[in-house]
Amino acid sequence: MKRIECTQIKEEAYIEKLENGMKVIIIPKHNLEKKYIIWGTHFGSIDNRFIMPNTKEEVFIPDGVAHFLEHKMFEQPDGTNSLDTLMALGLDANAYTTNNHTAYLFECTNNFYEGLDELMDYVQHPYFTDENVEKEKGIIAQEIKMYNDEPGWRLYMNALDCMYKENPIKIDIAGSVESISKITPDILYKCYNTFYNPSNMILVVCGDFEPNEILNDIKSRLIEKEEQGEIKRIYPAKEIGINKEYKEDEMEVSLPIFAIGYKDDNVMNNSEEIVKKHISIEILLNMIIGKSSDIYKELYENGDLLTVPDMDYEFAEEYAHILISGQSKNPDKIKEKIEEVVEKYKKEGLKEEHFNRIKKKIYGDYVAEYNGVGDIARMFLADSMKNINSFDYIDKYSEVTKDYTEQVLKNVFKKDNMVMSVIKCKQ
Amino acid sequence: MSYIKNEVKQGVTIHKINTNKFKTNLFSVFIATPLKRENVTKNALIAAILRRGSKNIPSQDLISKKLEEMYGATFDCGIEKTGDNQVIKFYLETINEEFLPEKEELTKKSLNILFDLIFNPLIENDGFKQEYVESEKNNLKQIIESKIDNKRVYSFERCIEEMFKDQPYGLYKYGYTKDLNSITPQNLYTHYVELIKNSKIDIYASGKLEDDSIFDIIKENEIIRSLSQRQAIYVQNSEKTIKIDLKETQVVEEHMQVGQGNLVLGLNINVNGEDSKFIISVYNAILGGGANSKLFQNVREKQSLAYTAGSTYRRQKNVIFIRCGIEIKNYEKALNTIKEQLEDISIGKFSEEDINNAKQLISESIRSITSEQDTEITYYYGQELSDTFISIDDYIKKINNVTREDIEEVAKNISINTIYFLRD
Repeated sequence: MKRIECTQIKEEAYIEKLENGMKVIIIPKHNLEKKYIIWGTHFGSIDNRFIMPNTKEEVFIPDGVAHFLEHKMFEQPDGTNSLDTLMALGLDANAYTTNNHTAYLFECTNNFYEGLDELMDYVQHPYFTDENVEKEKGIIAQEIKMYNDEPGWRLYMNALDCMYKENPIKIDIAGSVESISKITPDILYKCYNTFYNPSNMILVVCGDFEPNEILNDIKSRLIEKEEQGEIKRIYPAKEIGINKEYKEDEMEVSLPIFAIGYKDDNVMNNSEEIVKKHISIEILLNMIIGKSSDIYKELYENGDLLTVPDMDYEFAEEYAHILISGQSKNPDKIKEKIEEVVEKYKKEGLKEEHFNRIKKKIYGDYVAEYNGVGDIARMFLADSMKNINSFDYIDKYSEVTKDYTEQVLKNVFKKDNMVMSVIKCKQ
Repeated sequence: MSYIKNEVKQGVTIHKINTNKFKTNLFSVFIATPLKRENVTKNALIAAILRRGSKNIPSQDLISKKLEEMYGATFDCGIEKTGDNQVIKFYLETINEEFLPEKEELTKKSLNILFDLIFNPLIENDGFKQEYVESEKNNLKQIIESKIDNKRVYSFERCIEEMFKDQPYGLYKYGYTKDLNSITPQNLYTHYVELIKNSKIDIYASGKLEDDSIFDIIKENEIIRSLSQRQAIYVQNSEKTIKIDLKETQVVEEHMQVGQGNLVLGLNINVNGEDSKFIISVYNAILGGGANSKLFQNVREKQSLAYTAGSTYRRQKNVIFIRCGIEIKNYEKALNTIKEQLEDISIGKFSEEDINNAKQLISESIRSITSEQDTEITYYYGQELSDTFISIDDYIKKINNVTREDIEEVAKNISINTIYFLRD
């Protein structure tokens, strides 16, 4: 097992690549009662077209399959549901699907090994029938409707629609009522056999574990499967530029909500470089419209912003963009101010004092992520789906300089790649 | 024992939680005052204004700069409804000094900033700073109006409001827009002075605090020394609140443009007393506590009537709320299924497994309390307000002692008070 450590915050992790290709990451936390396990497959809503490694068959699936599959994994041939079984053990169990991965998890203080039995059993034993697939369509249709009523979700989807023309990140994770109606057990099995092969999966545990012991406990519960070849995923060609600058909708909200995006055309592959770029972007976002920024002060005092907007850099192999979102009676003003200050920083450079102060803040943010087993495990899983070592955010921190960050500002915050999505109040 | 409390002076108490589980230290100050229609908006506004700046740190950007300099310490404040009290909560979180890239003193600094923001406000012309009052009035107005944005939360709030009409607990914690006009910087400041003089004040420190020096640091703080002792006015949560006794269930329907219906039921529980709360917790977990609960299984899984279905027990008010997101046309069907579940429990139609699942679920969440700093603080504060003390181990014992008979007995004393439905 490979051991990595982060001396600054006194944390360590053990990483093992098993013979079947599965990656196991163990983060021991000896003083905590809680234990957390998360098992993920590199299969998300964007993976809608691929070639099966064994049969070489090209498969094009309806929108929402990864999420549908996640729901269906819990169902067992004897009529029980594994989520109920886990909950009956007193475990806090769940699953989720994102753009690029699906994960099954639980958190507990007691009964960890009983939970491990169940988790590793159900994830390795799919059971799809015409009947149980049909029944699920009703439940997921409700979930889709729930999302459609949520202004925040619509705002986000519209922002993506502005930034991308064909990229599958535009697809709603749950699909649509129409697309899920086309899902059959056969499609589910094809996806399962392709993406739930161990070589496409990562398992992370965090809690009071002895690394070798827990590794053996995991290995002994794996059923034998051969490492399959690479899954060829087919995505549309990378797009340069955006789809459209602006999109709006009307919904029942008391105050308009906005999402301002910068699409980043430079999707990078070098993981250490990505971490540094990510740190720089977070520093920049805070310098631009964070709590102590000049424009936040002005916008707050004029009543144009109530709180600091949410700021995020989302990226994977197929997409990368910044989103700044919040509530405002005057979204145009927010956009104008951001544009102004970005141009100013580009022209005049960043102030040393300001840069260093925000850099300290970002350090604190990263350290605080190590407070809970759940946050730690989810972070390691999501990062390693992108081949990133999470400790790099602390270790590479000191390498992020003002000059480097100014370069990132010029490369990423491009006016031509700026979009805005707004949900206005319905009269 | 890792939890120690110490009354600095009557009505002002310091609580220390020593824990080595976290990378951060969390300091908080809670100010509790009875929920009253005439004060609720003012109290909410005060929290917002104090956050804008103090005598020593007079503006928000200066506060932020100070916090950023301290490795992104975070300051936050909020309004909570805890039983019949309105609680103004202030938090300051910093990285534990052990994990900083360079040595620096943060604890004393943090506490000074926290106390300064709460107790040393920026004053002009015998009132709060006019500019802050005006802009925070606008902001609060928007917060109150935005209640409608999240339909699930809105429906829940509306059900509480209808169930506790004309009672303190029915009040909205952020107050009411029509109160805002008559508030001036001066009358608000007068109210603030009274609030600080009479309320119950609790200060919590959680983190790697091995020795007791934190008590001295707080006690010796100038601002804490200048607080007067008080006969704190607040509503003790163990006090029996007025029993709601509606013979007929009230049904409230509200129309809005929504694709999904939100159904919320408020349940009366005609059993009181500290020990019955453990039984009711188990009852609630069987009814709607998790994926094994009656509601989840029957409303969601078996009939696909809902995406969400569950229940919440509000301990301090001794009421249960059932919440479901349903298709609008399924209203009758969902409601009948819910009623069937209530009926089933009261006639003993639940298994040993149901009881065990419920107990597991509760024990697990109680055992997890120490895994989050603010949750642990909230646990102790809940006890502080009800003037009881029960350790986590004893809590779990009490839950495990609940019997089938206890649950059936409680179930017979439960009735539907309010049915609220948000639809198109």
